Amino acid sequence: MKEWKRISAVARRELRIIRNRPLYLVGSIGVITFCTIFFLTFLKGGLPHDIPIGLVDEDYSTTSRNFSQQLDATQLGKVVHYDSFAEAREDMTSGKISAVCVIPKGMNDDIQAFRQPKISFYINGLYFVSGALAWKDLLTMVNLTNGAVQRQVFRAKGYNDEQIMGMIRPIDIDTHQIGNVTTNYNYYLTGTLLPAILEMIIIIVLIYSLGTELKYGTSRHLLNKAGNSITTALTGKLTVWTLIFSAIGLILILLLYHWMHFPMAGSIFNMFIAMFLLVLASEAVAIFILEMIPVPRLALSIGALYSVLGFSLSGFTLPLEAMPPYIQGLAVAFPIRHYYLLLVQEAIFGTGFAGWWKEVACLLLFLFVPLLGLRRLKNAYINQNYPKD
Amino acid sequence: MAERYAKRWIRDWWNIFCHELKQIFSDGGVLLIFFVAGLAYPLLYNVVYLNGILEETPVAVVDDADCAESRRYIREVDATRELSIAAKCMNMDEARKMMEDRKVNAIIYFPRDFGDRLARMETAKLSLYCDMSSFMYYKNAMIGTNFVMLHEIGQIQVERYSLAGMTAQEVSQTVKPIGYDDNNPFNRASNYSFFLISAILMIIIQQTLFYGMSLLVGTQREKNHSFASLPDQLSGNGVGRVVLGRGGAYWLPYLGIGMYIAFIVPAIFGIPQRGSFGEILALLLFFITDCVFFSMTWSTVITRRESVFLLFLAISPICLFLTGCSWPTVAFPKFWKLFSYLFPSTFGVQGYINLSTAGGDINAAAMQMKALVMQTIVYFFTSCICIYVENWVIHHKEQIQERRELIAKKAGIDREEDARIIAGE
Repeated sequence: MKEWKRISAVARRELRIIRNRPLYLVGSIGVITFCTIFFLTFLKGGLPHDIPIGLVDEDYSTTSRNFSQQLDATQLGKVVHYDSFAEAREDMTSGKISAVCVIPKGMNDDIQAFRQPKISFYINGLYFVSGALAWKDLLTMVNLTNGAVQRQVFRAKGYNDEQIMGMIRPIDIDTHQIGNVTTNYNYYLTGTLLPAILEMIIIIVLIYSLGTELKYGTSRHLLNKAGNSITTALTGKLTVWTLIFSAIGLILILLLYHWMHFPMAGSIFNMFIAMFLLVLASEAVAIFILEMIPVPRLALSIGALYSVLGFSLSGFTLPLEAMPPYIQGLAVAFPIRHYYLLLVQEAIFGTGFAGWWKEVACLLLFLFVPLLGLRRLKNAYINQNYPKD
Repeated sequence: MAERYAKRWIRDWWNIFCHELKQIFSDGGVLLIFFVAGLAYPLLYNVVYLNGILEETPVAVVDDADCAESRRYIREVDATRELSIAAKCMNMDEARKMMEDRKVNAIIYFPRDFGDRLARMETAKLSLYCDMSSFMYYKNAMIGTNFVMLHEIGQIQVERYSLAGMTAQEVSQTVKPIGYDDNNPFNRASNYSFFLISAILMIIIQQTLFYGMSLLVGTQREKNHSFASLPDQLSGNGVGRVVLGRGGAYWLPYLGIGMYIAFIVPAIFGIPQRGSFGEILALLLFFITDCVFFSMTWSTVITRRESVFLLFLAISPICLFLTGCSWPTVAFPKFWKLFSYLFPSTFGVQGYINLSTAGGDINAAAMQMKALVMQTIVYFFTSCICIYVENWVIHHKEQIQERRELIAKKAGIDREEDARIIAGE
């Protein structure tokens, strides 16, 4: 009974600290709110459209005009006309347009005479998404134009449309995009980015919360309140923060998968579990960092450097397989990596527990890490013998 | 008189400059951010994205057709750079299981009638199932299978057109009435690291400078040593000296760090450096100057040493998106486009990519340079204004404290009681 009282005393104390320093709530709820609004509105379009493609038409024929109109009419592309290739290339280098397409002189005549003219296109692969989409759009257009010419040839030969389809398109691919039917970047990026930012916030805020006790020399008082037990002190403080962070996490999950209807093959309740585990594991990492370096400013810098790396090492943009092997091993030390893997299993494949129990086990393993340094933290809290600022 | 003023100005400027440099080099936290993070982070990110190209994405095949054409298709898919056949499964259930176990990232399915349809000169359909957990898998699966499809279509068309009674010349003309020639001049292999690293490098310059400066400013404010009290010693009108003196102290070390990041790091890791040294250096000077005043302005809101991390760490990934190197600028919502003008990185990254990675001449970054200059001017003045405001706040500390007590009382918060509970007697 006494233990409970102590824990609740520490928790009540923590609440007063939070009330006294607006920084805590701004740094946690404020930041995540801003980031959520940012990413959900920034990527609202799902897939970019009307990507500027420079067109240098040296032919001035009906065919070339038709080509440019059709290209302009695609959802992906928007044609910008240029008089010379040099001009277009300059604009491509400066990133104003994503690709340049050159229609050679005499293309129309060459097509009519079957002299096989060549359309050239150049894409700017340094603006990655727009470059790739412009390339896809141009490739599609060229193939469609080819098909149109072929169709005319066979119509002239007296084939019917069904036969012609077999002639010009003998093979077709029927693509099924599992878990993201519309190639929506918002579904793809935001679903992992926001939890990664939450992980970052948890690590920073918690290191700060535990570190300020050292900085302002209030740690002895804290231990006193907790009956001289570091476990009780941490339990009290963590109760408050776990509640806050879990609430944020649950709202995030609800927002993404319930209100915004992000694709979810499995169950949203399993995502609650995943999010709760991510919160706990991130807290464990924060405690561990402060235990190892009980100097608030250093611990915060290290925490910042660590959590920024999480974005890359979760492997949701460039997959981990493409990274060097020693980096792949390092990724295990980031809770967000396991969250991402769990998310894939649940949201894309809907496998349930059978598919993600390993990730749960990994996330739970994080919880044992802080036990290694509890003594060290307690000594630091009692002696306050580390640099304070 | 004017000469005396100039002399005095330069002396004051020099003193402030030296004082700030001393502060920077006597603060472990700032040195950690500037020199450990600033120097090691670019290396670390380069190592993470060292290969930058995802190759041989594993694919499972379910071949219900089991005909010569499907087998040839499978062999050709296996031969692409993008894909490799990891398994031939008996049925879709087995393939699906492999995908769920993440042993393969795509499934190619040939239906039973694939060969028959080809023999009947109809359109034969195959199905591609992509794992959308990373768009790189999807991209590889699409490119790999589609290229093989285009190639196969060409082959089959040759057979069919000959059967339709065309001569060999007619066939080759009809199969490809228009050829194409695709080039990706700046990034031939579609390397992920070329664009991302170029962007990250510039953002590291901006963010480490901002965090380091905020750390120092916060510390001094905590100790009531804010630089904003300096104009008082200079008989009230030294704002320009303070801003430029302090700015110079950050500018100088960052010139070194910036050159290391912009020139040496890409050279170590083989990121293309196609621009001319002088032009990139010019961009870098503009960018660093801008970053200094940017940091000076925004660090005004930092009142304590650590608060910068709590408030502004999450801005780094946002800055990366706002540069437009991944999500194209044309797709930015209006508001966020305006918001992106707040950050030097938006223009710095674009300019650096255009100049150094794409190898354009100075015209390719003219727009960005102009924007950087405008930003610098605006941020210089806001830095000055911030000093005025802070100076005012320092002089009115007691009134502000009284106001806070009043508000606390109205809200029913007993601040003394709070302090007792938090820190004991």
